[in-house]
Amino acid sequence: MAAPPRSLRLVSLRTPRFRVYAAKAETVNKVMEIVKQQLALGADAAAAVTPESKFTDLGADSLDTVEIVMALEEEFNITVEEDNAQNITTIQEAADLIDKLVA
Amino acid sequence: MAFTLRAVKVPPNSASLEEARHRVFDFFKQACRSIPTVMEIYNLDDVVTPSQLRSTIAKEIRKNQNITNPKVIDMLLFKGMEELNNIVEHAKQRHHVIGQYVIGQEGLVHDLGSKDQGSSDFLKKFYTSNYF
Repeated sequence: MAAPPRSLRLVSLRTPRFRVYAAKAETVNKVMEIVKQQLALGADAAAAVTPESKFTDLGADSLDTVEIVMALEEEFNITVEEDNAQNITTIQEAADLIDKLVA
Repeated sequence: MAFTLRAVKVPPNSASLEEARHRVFDFFKQACRSIPTVMEIYNLDDVVTPSQLRSTIAKEIRKNQNITNPKVIDMLLFKGMEELNNIVEHAKQRHHVIGQYVIGQEGLVHDLGSKDQGSSDFLKKFYTSNYF
């Protein structure tokens, strides 16, 4: 029958697009924990941390950013390449990169 | 042979502050990636965690953060590489590593807990810093 192949093709087109936007929630949470610990954020600052917040907005300088990336490397057992590391500015980007490297 | 594995690559001087910054970050990453090796060599698993060592390394780097001359930064990086080499190739010993990188400013005074009971609050603050 002609119908099943067409619907299968539609389904396979849709799922990769959805997967790109979502990093796993537990990855994002782990990243947020590491960031809070690394930057020594107090209770009220820690509550303001969202996945979209940039590291520099949270009070990190460039060395802090590198340190956070190294802490993530150790936590998730990955190695972040030089060009990948340049693009990490928010928590969400870090979580996406981790999921890409772990998967 | 093993002694010169890392030190041989003495690159020409950094052209700009930006390049020196990149070199600092590369050095920091190299140091962080050799932390598991160091912890295994000197049996530091009971004494310190990798993240504490990372913050110690970052603190050492931050001590010189106000320097703007790329040649000075290169010199400091060379010294840092030399220190990292010495530690990784086991040219240092455990008490060197612990004393220099694990204990920190207040470490030795903490051990005198029982002797400190008699001294006053003023003295304790005085021993820690000039400003209180």
